[in-house]
This record gives sequence, structure tokens and C-alpha cells, in this order.
Amino acid sequence: MTMELSAGAAKRRGAGGWRWSGRIFLLLLLGFTVMPMIWMFITSLKTGFAAMQYPPQWWPAEPTLENYWRLIDPSGNVGRDFIQYFWNSIWVSTLTTILAVVVAVPAAYAFSRFRFPGRNFLFFAVLLRNMFPAVVFLVPLFILMKALGLVNTHGSLILTYLTFGLPLAIWLLKGFYDNIPVQLEQAARIDGATRFQAFFLIVMPLSTPGIIATSIYSFIGAWNEYIYAYTFLTRHDQMTLPVGIQRFFSENATDWPGLMAATFMMSIPVVVLFLVLQRYFVRALTEGAVKH
Amino acid sequence: MAQVILKDVVKNYGDVYAVNHVSLTVEDGEFVALVGPSGCGKTTTLNLVAGLIPMSGGTINIGDRDVTDLDPKDRDIAMVFQNYALYPQKSVYKNLAFPLQMRKLPKEEIDKRVQAAAKTLDIVHLLERKPRELSGGQQQRVALGRALVREPRAFLMDEPLSNLDAKLRVQMRSEIKRFHQDLNATIIYVTHDQLEAVTMSDKMAVMNGGFLQQYDSPANVFANPVNMFVASFVGSPAMSLVPLTAASKDGKVVLQSPEGWEMPLSDANGRKALSAKSSKVVLGGRHSTITVHKSQVPGAVPGKVYTVEPTGDVTFAQVFVSGAVVNVSVAPTFQLRPDEPVFLEFDQDRMHLFDGETEMALKLA
Amino acid sequence: MSTVPGQAIFRDVPEPRRIGLSQKVWNSRFDYLYVAPALIVMLIVIGYPIYYTIELSFFNTPASLALSAKQFNGLDNYVTILTSPVFWKVTWQTVLWTVLSTFFAFMIGLGAALALHREFAGRGVLRALLLIPWVVSAVAASYVWKWLYHSDFGAISAMLTQVGWIDKPINFIDNTNTSLYALIVVNVWKEFSFAMIMLMAGLQTVPDTLLRAAQVDGASPWQRFWHVTFPHLQGVSMVTLLLLAVQNFNSFIIPWIMTGGGPAGSSDIWITHIYQLAFGRQRWGVASAYAVILFIVMMVLGYFYVRALTKGDDARAAG
Ligand SMILES: Nc1ncnc2c1ncn2[C@@H]1O[C@H](COP(=O)(O)OP(=O)(O)O)[C@@H](O)[C@H]1O
Ligand SMILES: [Mg+2]
Repeated sequence: MTMELSAGAAKRRGAGGWRWSGRIFLLLLLGFTVMPMIWMFITSLKTGFAAMQYPPQWWPAEPTLENYWRLIDPSGNVGRDFIQYFWNSIWVSTLTTILAVVVAVPAAYAFSRFRFPGRNFLFFAVLLRNMFPAVVFLVPLFILMKALGLVNTHGSLILTYLTFGLPLAIWLLKGFYDNIPVQLEQAARIDGATRFQAFFLIVMPLSTPGIIATSIYSFIGAWNEYIYAYTFLTRHDQMTLPVGIQRFFSENATDWPGLMAATFMMSIPVVVLFLVLQRYFVRALTEGAVKH
Repeated sequence: MAQVILKDVVKNYGDVYAVNHVSLTVEDGEFVALVGPSGCGKTTTLNLVAGLIPMSGGTINIGDRDVTDLDPKDRDIAMVFQNYALYPQKSVYKNLAFPLQMRKLPKEEIDKRVQAAAKTLDIVHLLERKPRELSGGQQQRVALGRALVREPRAFLMDEPLSNLDAKLRVQMRSEIKRFHQDLNATIIYVTHDQLEAVTMSDKMAVMNGGFLQQYDSPANVFANPVNMFVASFVGSPAMSLVPLTAASKDGKVVLQSPEGWEMPLSDANGRKALSAKSSKVVLGGRHSTITVHKSQVPGAVPGKVYTVEPTGDVTFAQVFVSGAVVNVSVAPTFQLRPDEPVFLEFDQDRMHLFDGETEMALKLA
Repeated sequence: MSTVPGQAIFRDVPEPRRIGLSQKVWNSRFDYLYVAPALIVMLIVIGYPIYYTIELSFFNTPASLALSAKQFNGLDNYVTILTSPVFWKVTWQTVLWTVLSTFFAFMIGLGAALALHREFAGRGVLRALLLIPWVVSAVAASYVWKWLYHSDFGAISAMLTQVGWIDKPINFIDNTNTSLYALIVVNVWKEFSFAMIMLMAGLQTVPDTLLRAAQVDGASPWQRFWHVTFPHLQGVSMVTLLLLAVQNFNSFIIPWIMTGGGPAGSSDIWITHIYQLAFGRQRWGVASAYAVILFIVMMVLGYFYVRALTKGDDARAAG
């Protein structure tokens, strides 16, 4: 009797120990995760002089928003360029997203529902794209863009962003379509709908969360893209944020507070987008990988 | 309502034949149950009739039209799905109205029909709800309602009751039956539950492994199963099958067991047994045709009681006979104990004999 | 033909006509319309470049990219690569980078997923915060970490000094011994939450009843994890590890922005090396040959990736 009791207590203590080590682990991990972002923000509040001190000021002696004002002041050089980069990024990301989704929706649906000859091969080819680094495509695409006269245009970016945006969109959307029972379309077709109507009236409304999620993915992917933009764009007025801020702040000695303010501003749209639509985002990612 | 004719219908996925040369005619106004174990091709058959999947071969007629190459929407049929397939984003009302909207009926006509169907099925108070706010039984009714609002040539139902609990299932069973009689509807009803098929249908089509095994009225299927599969699938408890050997002895035909006992056959049964391809013959008997004796009587065979299950008005028992399990029933007053030796007398007029090689029922030529 | 018992009377049915491939293609002609736009775009932006890369890898192309002046040189570019000592150094660094990044990102992600699996106050917020590194751009991450690692004013050195572990600032990334590992830390920071979210979804598929049954049977938390949870996670883990490995193998931004592959090539990995060869030194042919080798390696990985992803797909076909 007593033995059983003490054994139970030990077990409970064991479980408690696990829980506590889990909490401590999470706490450390949280520190590791947010520390750089906090430091980014703190640095962005410093003057150039305050940043160049050792040991650093853990909190700026005279916090200033000067770095942010500089970025959004359209009358200054820095502000004018930054605002231009920002719009370029928004424009390129939005257009990429729309194109990717419009083209991916029918393709994903077909891959989910139809069994046409060559389907597996084609789907394999689509998925395989996710495996290849941009570099494999860089040289030939650079040549192609040169030939098409697209170097230094946003067209070159949008077209190349589809190389990763489209396969990802197809894969994500297919995951969503896979989870919509085929019986719904079958019922619709029996109820008098054509295949297209069944898709448009029944499946499309149900896949809205998937389309939202896919759009966020495409958008964030395009927003964060660096290597193509870095290679294809040399003109200042065409640059997107990731390449823009670099050329901009590293010309002579690095202006760290300015750079931190710019990266902070650059991160805001995607982080906000992510936090607001987190639910869709997480679901989309795991839908395809975790079959229920 | 109309006749439905399947001729040589085939559906294969590569080397898997989900439906293998099935031919059957469903008469106008008939209730046909498509029954068989899971994976035998029932749903596939139904989907072929509906036109939801392309056929690999054969033809299908509905009424006077060959619909083999028609789209589902042009076949003029209604279907109830196993998982109900209610449109999750639409209210019950919109679910019921959808088939009518697709056929471009005027608004007032749609409303009239939706209300009428809702009334028949007693779901008027649910019309504004979304499917996920309904219980399983209510969803089932809505699914039925969506089929009812139209006047299709035939109704197709794929295990419509299998997701309901036992009590609701019995109740819905009689409602569907009623609705069949009232509308004089042609219905093809898929189920894996042989009891459902027997109680509801005018005719049952028993399937196994993609093949149609037997197509007849429940009574005939019960009384004259064409093969061992049908014999053991239809009826509860199942027909018992004992593999034996046929031999002629002194001008009489007997069935011999490996243990050495013999069971003489009547003349008719003897001729059946001799028509088998080899001497291997399987003896089949339903519990109601087997008499249990405590001591040896002529023609009875020895066995040993395995389990005894009193149910109140009748006691079922399982008896080992020559290595096979035989289901028998006795009056509750008849005392049986496990491991007790007993003797079973098979009714010669109602016993079944199967060819041990082909598994087909043996018939008089 | 059939092994179904009792089918003797049906055995004389004719074998159904087999339809040929062209017939099948014709029958599904409308299906192709759905995928056609996607395939056309992909053919232009993916198929064509792959073809072109392969072609370039057999040529010596002038630095100006004047394609008319390119000369066929057979396997020279490949020979150059495989006989160069730099190739093996970079390959070894790529392996280190990929394996270590993948391993640590996965293990930390697994720990976080397990710790976050149980419901507690603030769990949603915590999860969201942990996911942020994964959404912010690698460019932003690279700059911040470069600043954290700064040899004169870096916050990490400063912190370690204040705690008393070191007495003067360490040069993390300008040091041939530490640069690769310093970058791996950044990469893990960026990626562990991807593993976390995948594994959290995987954990949800572990039946509660099984865990409870194991608990009733007296299994310790560790035993429950090892015998119940872990086997259920194998599928997701495979996909996650593969995706992480692929992503890491293909990394560019972090090493490129933080060190440019230096110092003295100590943090160079395949992709940065190829980029340098192509756009830094205009050795288009060698860079393309590199890309082709990489391509082949990825094809092998890709086979397993697609297999893991499309498992159980055919059960879901519709008409
Ligand atoms: N899309 C498909 N691809 C491959 N095999 C299928 C497909 N649909 C059904 N089958 C196979 O056909 C057989 C019959 O299936 P089904 O008609 O669903 O059986 P059930 O009688 O249980 O309704 C099964 O063996 C099933 O695995
Ligand atoms: Mg079925």
C-alpha cells in the first residue's frame, strides 16, 4: 500500500519535472528568439554615436526616432529612396501573389482531383522545383531577361518569383483541395451543376482559407526575396527593400542604427500580416505534410 | 420514374477490377438493394450509374435513354451520399434549393418545393441552420430532402443509414420504405448490411469482389443461394457450411467426414452430390432447419457443443461438426452445456449442397 | 482470372478492352486545360533555365556573356571542379552547414513542439513569438546578427564579458575557425520554428487515447514519448527533415550578407560559391557545371521528398 503510494508520488514528481524542464526550455528559447529582434529595435533608437560604444548602452541614453523619420521623410534623399523601395516591394509582391494564385488554383485542383496520364510526373516536376536553389536558375534567367530586355524591370522579378511562388502555391492549395470531400462536387454535379459550376459554386467558397493562406505565403516569399532582385536590378528606382537597404546603408561605413530601423520597418508588414492571419498560415503549411 | 439497365458494366483501376461485368435491370418503381462486403464495388457501381466516374466498359440505360456518355446533370437522377455531402457553407434551405436553382426553376416554384420536402421530412424548423449545426440524423434527413425536391427518374442511395445509431437507423429504414411506396420511386440502395437489404428491398443484388453474385428477391436469395459466398453472407446467423466427401454406398449416396461418420442423403440430394466436379461436397444448413438431439438418431451427425447463447425466446448454440462450426437454435427449455456431445439432424428438403471445387450450389439437372 | 470463390459461372466473361495511352490522353484532354497555364509558366521559368544551365556547363562562355562566342569544351568544366581542392573544401563546409543546421533546428523544434503541446496560459502568444524569426526576411536576420556579432560593438561579446566568461570581445564572423559555426547559429535561429510548427501539427495526430492507455499502463513520460508519440511523428519528421535539409543546402542569403563566404572561404558553401563563380568571376561554364552537379544531388533527395509527400494520394481520385 505505502509502496504503491510512494511510487505514484514519484511518478507525479517525474511528470512535474518534465513539465518544469519544458517551461525552462521554452523560456530560454524565447530569449534566444526575441533577443535579436529586441536588439534590432533598441539599436534603431540610438544615434550613430551611441551605437558605437563598448560596452553598449543596453538602453539608449537618449532614445530618438530620428532614424525612422529619416526613412519616411519624402523630402530627404534617404526617405525618398526608402519609400520608393517600399512601394516597389509592395507592387512586386502583390502582383506575384495574384498571378501565382490565379494560375495555381486550377492546377492544384486538377492535381488533387483528376488522374490524367502524366499527372504524377507533372506533379513531381512541380514539387521538384522547391528543391532547387535560385542559383541553378540564375544564370540562364539572367540571360533570358537580358534577351527579353527585362533586366532592371519589375517584370523580371515577377516572372522569376513565379519559379518558387507557383510550385509552392500549387502544393499548398492541393493540400486544401485534398481535404474537401469529393462527394460535395459529386452531389453538385448530380444536382445539375457542370464540372465547372461544381468547382466554382461549391469548392471555391470552401477553399477560401486555403487561398488566403497561399496568398500570404506568396506575398511573404516575394517580399523577402533577395537573390534575384540583387542580380537583376541595378537601378536604384527599381529596387525592392531587401536589396535597397543594403546598397543604401553600406556604401561607406555602416550606419547601424539606420540599418536596424530599416530592417525593422521592412519586417513590420510581414510580421503583422503573419500575426493577423496566423491561423491560415500555420494550417496551410501543415495540411499537406500531415495527412489526417 | 424509370427503369435502369446495366449491361456488362466494367470499371477497372489498372489491374484492380472494382466492377466486373455487372448486368442487371432495375424495373420501374422497384427498390433494389446492392449489398456486399466492404470494398466489393457497390459505391463504384452506384457512381457509374450516376455518371460520376467514367466507365471502362458496358452501357447504362435510364428509362428509354442510353446515358452511358451523359454527364451526371443530364441523367436526371438524385443521390444520397454516405457522408451526406451537404454543402457546408449553405443553409439547409439553400442546400435543398440548389438542385432546383441549377435547373433554373422560378423562385416561387423553388420555395414551394423546398417547403413541401421540408414538411415531408419534418425539417421545417431547421431550414435556416447550417449543416454543421445539425445532428447526424437531421443531416441525413436534409440529404434525403435534397434528393426529394426534384422528381428524378431514379434515386441512388449509398449507405445512407450507416452513420446513424441503431435506433434511428430502424426508424429511418421504415421512412425510406414509406417514401418508396408513396412515390413509387425507382431506388438503387447500397448497403453492406444484409439485414437492411432483406428487410427493405424488392430485389437484392449481392456483390463480391466486383462481381454480381446473385440478383433476386430477398426470399429467393435466402432460400436458394447460388454459391457459398451468398449462402454465408445472407441470413443471420449465417448458414453453416461443413466440407465433406460424397461417396456411393449400396446404391445410396452418403456424405463422409474425415472422422469416419456418414450421413445418408435423400435421392434428390444424392443426385445433386454426384453432379459435383469432384467428390468434395460442402453441406450447408440454416439453424432453423437443423434439429438437435441428445442421442443418436438415424441420419444425424455427431458434434460437440461449443457455445450456448440464450436470447429469451430461442437459444442459439454453436456446435463443432467435423472441424466446422454449425449454428443451431433450440427452444429455451432445451438444456445445452458447452462441450456436451450432441447429434444434429439436417432437414433433407431444406439442406444445401455446394460443389467443393467451384463453391457453386449443386442443382438437379 | 479472378480468384473470387464461386465465380465459375462468370468465368467466361470477356476480358475488358484495354485502352491505349493516346486514348487515355484524349479522354482527359479537358483535365490538361486546368494545369496548362501553370505548366506553360513553369516551362518558361524552370524548364528552359534547367536546359540552358546544362548546355552552358559544356561550354566555355566569355565573361561578357556573349553567347555567340561560346566554345564547346566537353567535360572540361566538370573536370576543373572535381579536381579543384576548393571544391572539396566547399563541399565539406556545405555538408557541415547542412547537417548541423538541420539537426539543431529539428531538435530545438521538437523540444519546443513537445513543450508547447500541452495547453497553458499564454501558449498562443508564445507560439506566435517563436514563429517570428521564420517570417522575417533572411536579409533582416543577417543584418541583425551581423550587428550582434560585431567585433567591436557586438552585444553578444558584451554580454559574455559582463557575465565574466570572456575578457575581451570575440571576433565571431571575421575568424576562419568560427565563422561557419556562427552562421549556423543564425540559420538555426531562423529555421527552428519551421520544424516546431510541423511537429506540433504532427503531435495533434497522436491519439490521446493511446497516450492515456500508456499512462494507465504505468509508462513514464519518456516511455510514452518513445513508444507512442515518436512512432506517430515519423512521417512528419521525415518530411520536415527533408525540407530543412533541402532549404539549408540551398541557403544563400545568410552567408552571402554576413560574410560573403569569407574570411578566406571559411564559410563558403555551394550556393555562395557558385554565385561568386558566376557573377563575381564570370566563369559561367564552371558555375553552370556546379549547378548541374547540385541538380543531380537534389534529384536524388527530391525523389524521397516527393515520395514522402504524395504517399496515399491515389486513394483520393475523383471522376
Ligand atoms: N479511385 C480509385 N482508385 C483505385 N481503386 C479504387 C478507386 N475507387 C475504388 N477503388 C477500389 O475499388 C474497389 C471497390 O470500391 P468501392 O466501390 O468503394 O467498394 P464498396 O463496396 O465498399 O463501396 C475497392 O477495392 C477499392 O479499393
Ligand atoms: Mg462504399
